[in-house]
Amino acid sequence: MIVRIASGIPGLDELIGEERGSLAENTVTLVYGPPKVGKSIFCYQFAYEGFRSDEPCLYISADYGLNELERSISNFGWKFDEYRENFYIIDAISTISGLEVESRDNYFPSSVHNPTDIMVKLGMAIRQIASKSHRFRSVLDSLTTLMAFNDELLIVRVLTVYIMRIKESGGTAIVTYTEGSADSKVENMLKAIVDNIIHLDGEKLTIEAMVGSGKITASYNITSNGMIVE
Amino acid sequence: MKKTYIPKLDDILGGGIIDNASVMFSAVPGVDSEAFGYQMLHGRLKDGDKGFIYTNVAEPETITYEFNSYGWDLQKFLENGDAFFVDGSSPFLGLPSTAKYTIEDYSKMEKVIMEAIEDVPDGIGVINNLSTIIDYLGEDETIKIIKKWNLHGKKHNTSLIYLFTKWDYNTGLVEKVKRSMDCVIEVKTIEERVIIGQGFMVAHSSWSKPSNTMVLFFVVQPGGIKVYIPKILVTGPYNAGKSTFVKRISKRSVSVDRKALSAFPTTIALDIGHLEYKGFIADIFGTPGQERFDLLLDVLGRESVGAFIIVDSTAPETFGRAKEMIRKTRAEAIPKVLVANKQDLSGALSPEEIREKMKLGKDIPIIPAIVTEGKGVTDALDALLGLLYGD
Repeated sequence: MIVRIASGIPGLDELIGEERGSLAENTVTLVYGPPKVGKSIFCYQFAYEGFRSDEPCLYISADYGLNELERSISNFGWKFDEYRENFYIIDAISTISGLEVESRDNYFPSSVHNPTDIMVKLGMAIRQIASKSHRFRSVLDSLTTLMAFNDELLIVRVLTVYIMRIKESGGTAIVTYTEGSADSKVENMLKAIVDNIIHLDGEKLTIEAMVGSGKITASYNITSNGMIVE
Repeated sequence: MKKTYIPKLDDILGGGIIDNASVMFSAVPGVDSEAFGYQMLHGRLKDGDKGFIYTNVAEPETITYEFNSYGWDLQKFLENGDAFFVDGSSPFLGLPSTAKYTIEDYSKMEKVIMEAIEDVPDGIGVINNLSTIIDYLGEDETIKIIKKWNLHGKKHNTSLIYLFTKWDYNTGLVEKVKRSMDCVIEVKTIEERVIIGQGFMVAHSSWSKPSNTMVLFFVVQPGGIKVYIPKILVTGPYNAGKSTFVKRISKRSVSVDRKALSAFPTTIALDIGHLEYKGFIADIFGTPGQERFDLLLDVLGRESVGAFIIVDSTAPETFGRAKEMIRKTRAEAIPKVLVANKQDLSGALSPEEIREKMKLGKDIPIIPAIVTEGKGVTDALDALLGLLYGD
């Protein structure tokens, strides 16, 4: 039996036809599409859903630093403050933009163009998480930014290691990618190494591949309360 | 010879590295290999040598900050000119750089680093990160360049330290890169569901015959790389043969005890030994069997990575005590091997009979042994190492 976990996107779990959730546990889902269609919002909701059931989230942020990330999230009225101790962040952008960020145990500064260091921080964070929880969520937002600062093939390698680490330690992850930003060969490689693929185009959400399910398309909206699938 | 300033590494390499060595730290993604390069550089600078860091993964300011967090003052050496950066990072981010050299595109890299090597005769250069160079320049070009740098390093008596992250490159490439180096040190992870430890091991060195010892380490800030010697516990009821077992598995051992004046000499404090077996290093602690020392069990059990439980196969009346000791050592949570000692005596129960009497699960190997004759001792070691590291 496939154990599915709640996506945090109202309407999405029902599409798969399971009450408890849509994303198969311990798999990795690629969420991709053109810019500004809600990929990051998808990630926030996925993380937030986990927090509500006391699941830690390991968030690798290459697009927004800690402060900006927390601001964008709170814009939707979600209170991340209460869940800070479950919010593990690898911030790959603040240091290169020269921002000072408060230090706390579950905050790991790194750098978008140092994937080696990102993986070291990933290992440290997973060790912390594993000591208190058997299941956790993870987000990598986004591969596109990592590719802008590194060779594209290197990032495919990084993603392979990321997926291995997440899976062996019992996590379920979402990675995002902006459609067309990399070579089409690289794009195909990304699709090949993840388990599930969800495409967003601004109006329609398409489940292109999902463990134990067929292809499904539905409309969605981004409201002031986040993304809703209709 | 020059020291590496990495604990234990100099011993394994036969005293250190040759002055103009090319050394590569080849790290599995997820282990902290930068600290190795930085610790070597800092040690050499403190000894009065000159050195540089070529970086394509972090800006000089970030690296200086990292040095600070280890408690090493790089700024001082940058200011007095003993150290400098070759900055191949800032230009790619559109950031200004104050480094002595900057590399704006990879085609200039070869020449700039040649100059940097000339600037530090008898010194040291750290290349962070070799993988990034491979990704930009491709295999063949990179290997050509490494060879030129290494030759140049030989000529100017400069040690070159490469940090390499072993992403899933094809093995042919990795082999070629390794062959261009005088010395390769593998930096690995030890995993059980998640990474529980890190270790390094010398794969080859052109000037010595290193042992295949895996040294466990962790990185602390401040402090840098610290070697970690795991403890292994040897416990069991009174008169089961623990002290003899510790002596048998140890390269050297001491009995911190006072022999009781009775027909049976017995340990009333601790047996301490040091194990070096198939590249695995550990300190061995043998605890006394008497109940009045049970407090020790608790303390040692918490710190141990594995345990041997020794029982006298002819004395089933002590098995209850053995189980109690397993519980008290918290050995329930750590890998353990039961050694069924005194198999040569009449009335000795077989391993399977012991398993049944003690109601032990199949996950605990039971090894028949005659410890006084050394029989079964290496089997027991192999069984525990198998549990710790997989086969």
